[in-house]
Amino acid sequence: MTEKVIVSNKGLVRADFNFWVGKYMDKFYDGLEQKKIVGNKCSKCGDVFCPPRSVCGKCNENLPLDQNWVDLPESGTLQNYTITPYKVTDRRTRKVKDPQLIAMVQIDGSNTAIVNRLLNITPDEIKIGMKVKVDWSEKTTGAPSDINGFVKV
Amino acid sequence: MGRQVAIVSAGFSEHSSKRSDVNMPELVNEAIINCLKKVPSLGLKDIDAFVTGNMPAFEGANMPELWSTDWMGARNKPLMRVTTGGTTGGSVAIAGYYHVTAGLPGIDTVLAIAYEQQSQGDTSVGLASTAYGEISILNTLGIDYDSLSRILSAGAAIGVAAYQATNYMSKARITEEDLARVVVHNRRNAAKNWWAHLKMPDLTIEEVLDTPYVQYPLRYGMLCPASDGACAMLFTTEEKAKDMCDIPVYVNGVASVANESAVLGYDGSGSAQTDPSAQIGAMRSSELAYSQAGISFPRKEIDYAEVYAPFPNQELMWLEKLGLFEETTAPEMYKNGTTALDGDLPVNCSGGVNSTNAIGASAMERPAVAALQIMGKADNQVPKTVHTSIGHGWGGSLNLCTLMVMSDEQKRKWR
Amino acid sequence: MEKVGIVGFNQVKMYSDANYGRYEMIFEAVRGALDKAGLKKKDITTVISCTNDYYDGRTISNLFTVEVGGGYLVDESKCEMDGAHAVLYGLMRILSGNHKLAVIWSGSMPSCYPYHSARLYETDPTWERPLGYVNDITAGGFQMRAYMEKFGVSKEEIARVAVKNRKNATKNPLALAEAQNANLTVEDVLNSEIYSDPVTELMVAQPCDSVAALLLAPERQALKITDNPVWITGVGYSQEAYYLGERDLSISKSMEIAGKTAFNAAGIKDPKNEIDVAELFEAYAHEELILAEALGLADKGKAANLNSEINGDLAINPSGGALGGNPPCATGLIRIIEAAKQLRGEANGYQVKGAKKAIASGQIGMCAQNNILFALEGSD
Repeated sequence: MTEKVIVSNKGLVRADFNFWVGKYMDKFYDGLEQKKIVGNKCSKCGDVFCPPRSVCGKCNENLPLDQNWVDLPESGTLQNYTITPYKVTDRRTRKVKDPQLIAMVQIDGSNTAIVNRLLNITPDEIKIGMKVKVDWSEKTTGAPSDINGFVKV
Repeated sequence: MGRQVAIVSAGFSEHSSKRSDVNMPELVNEAIINCLKKVPSLGLKDIDAFVTGNMPAFEGANMPELWSTDWMGARNKPLMRVTTGGTTGGSVAIAGYYHVTAGLPGIDTVLAIAYEQQSQGDTSVGLASTAYGEISILNTLGIDYDSLSRILSAGAAIGVAAYQATNYMSKARITEEDLARVVVHNRRNAAKNWWAHLKMPDLTIEEVLDTPYVQYPLRYGMLCPASDGACAMLFTTEEKAKDMCDIPVYVNGVASVANESAVLGYDGSGSAQTDPSAQIGAMRSSELAYSQAGISFPRKEIDYAEVYAPFPNQELMWLEKLGLFEETTAPEMYKNGTTALDGDLPVNCSGGVNSTNAIGASAMERPAVAALQIMGKADNQVPKTVHTSIGHGWGGSLNLCTLMVMSDEQKRKWR
Repeated sequence: MEKVGIVGFNQVKMYSDANYGRYEMIFEAVRGALDKAGLKKKDITTVISCTNDYYDGRTISNLFTVEVGGGYLVDESKCEMDGAHAVLYGLMRILSGNHKLAVIWSGSMPSCYPYHSARLYETDPTWERPLGYVNDITAGGFQMRAYMEKFGVSKEEIARVAVKNRKNATKNPLALAEAQNANLTVEDVLNSEIYSDPVTELMVAQPCDSVAALLLAPERQALKITDNPVWITGVGYSQEAYYLGERDLSISKSMEIAGKTAFNAAGIKDPKNEIDVAELFEAYAHEELILAEALGLADKGKAANLNSEINGDLAINPSGGALGGNPPCATGLIRIIEAAKQLRGEANGYQVKGAKKAIASGQIGMCAQNNILFALEGSD
């Protein structure tokens, strides 16, 4: 067997990506900037989507951009959670200092759950079904990071 | 034995350099709506299975059809992803054909979708990374990256196309003016096609030749644009097709024969494919597809051709390699009007890839337009009746090729 | 459905860091399969490969694999999902009558890239990805908790699956050495490092390097090529909703649909009693239970009570399953190969006695969003 040659070409090629969010998510991010959560509703099955989307997959219906927008509260119910000591985004799966508490929260009045952090809470206190509310970042910019996470009510 | 397959509809999204008003699933949804609109008796609920594909690394999203599930209407339905680089669209269309012809229980009507939203990412980096592993190995031999990128290029980009162009030009003894004539043909056709990207109804050969070289012999004005767009095609069985449209288009032959990669070769070891304009893979594809379709005299039997040519020299080359013209005679056919809208063999009346290139979708738009020409529903419809047409795709390092032969008559029964 | 036979297969041994070049590994798999079946390159009429551009770190990842994969001047294509989906595409090509011998190969080398970070690229880039809280591991954590909460299943019961599969893997010479452990206990699994609570390290199928290849032929040709082909009698596949927040993660809707379709095609009315061996692609220990329940092999929430040992009531993953080594893209294909081995009586050391009917599954996506199931039968 020959020695393995590891070829490393770090930093020579870099690709940048700009994702267009589309008009529906644009409206959602505009809402976040004003610390408001908006969703939209399928007129056929009545499901409310948060974040909003242009199609209801259950009914195969297109949801018009100018109709059925719903203002949602900043409170919700904890549906599910997990705790990970790893940083998910890191190029190499590196450990973080404190384990991250990641939660699936159903905003009241919507039919879907969103994934974000749970803040200021210890693992023992977490109970599925408990009430939580949005913790806004101090300065909102109309980006996903406007929601810091969720905190216990 | 497989079932007879028919195309009943094809649809497109609007194409432009930046579709910043939609995200990827919404773009896909646009093409699907356009496709299904043409078959009023059919809804998304009636689709039995989905085939889809795009070039993943261009947009920075891995397997985006997972995300697009609801926008395609594929929730709780079978879905398959097929990707083969530049030929992705063609491969997806071929997979759509195989889905129907295989006759698996419950799979009769299949929607094939191909798309690309290039404005989200960096296409040149995407293409360079086709050979990144190979280039790395050459790096260890002491050749630095900058020199490498100057002397060779591996992906379906201008680097390899330039070699192909000079090879072809010396064989056919043509000038840049002949290349420019092809560009003018395409861009003027594109002006009559609502979804095309580069529409130039008054373009002249002089204007094309007035633009600077990007890499000899290809000038800036000869290159394809980078577009955002999506295409959808609807495949179904012979029996069901008759209820869905007036003129079903039967798919009689498909092939996607691969050659070895050109110029660079795997592990940077070089390739025996020294003449990138020889294209034995394309020739083998056409032999295979024509024999399936029972076509013995392609020059006489084929009425319309859509070939995948981002660069004008390729359009000339493909028409010869696919058996539509004698070797080296294609440039003459552009001069004497054979390939024009009202000519004997109209070519790329949609404007071709040279005018609209949403890479993942491009190779599907070729058979889609070729099918619509048979139905008489194309946007730049040829005046004569089209009985048999072909849609071609090309990709990889000049080594992958897809071909679909369609006709208003079913496959000959002697097979 | 006409009969299509599996006439040959080959798998490269799994390594966590293989001393191979990418092309050597593909060539060994494909050429090995042809050699074992006594076939030559010129007999191939179609090749379907299965690789992923993100896992391979290159655009058009099938570009340079044409020659080594047997695709030179052959009608070829690539299915960018799981290897099992590529087998389905090969099956369709054979059923079309256009082709007489299909080579399907798939695999990847995750020793060259961080697999779990690459999975982040599957998330919605307009919402979930910038936040970076969802990848396959955290999704697995959600899935396991949803399953435990809904049916009151304990961690220990799920850990037992990991113990069983990792013990089975010790009998499989091609399994990943790091995954093999004959002396593993439930406590070891629960006490291993937490990946995403409640999922621990030993419950996760470890990504590793390998390539596998499979040959398909129509009935007539299959019987000429080999004395004991394995017949594909049914197949089903389905994809469910995307956002984790609107799925019931405690069940697998897509596998339910896939199973129903495959069993209908194969004429299987009572899967629990008719099937002798199941090779399921479980990316996590708990997924084996969820998938088994979706297929009707056990009642909802009760799969942990099933005796799924090699000599049990219904053997599940006697080869060690994905927990015995999970080469991205190849895992589903390897499940089909392992099921075929069982039906041909070639599973030395982990053979299920008298196996006549088997099923094998593949999956892609977060929490197995898209599932595919094959029903296989041995020749008499």
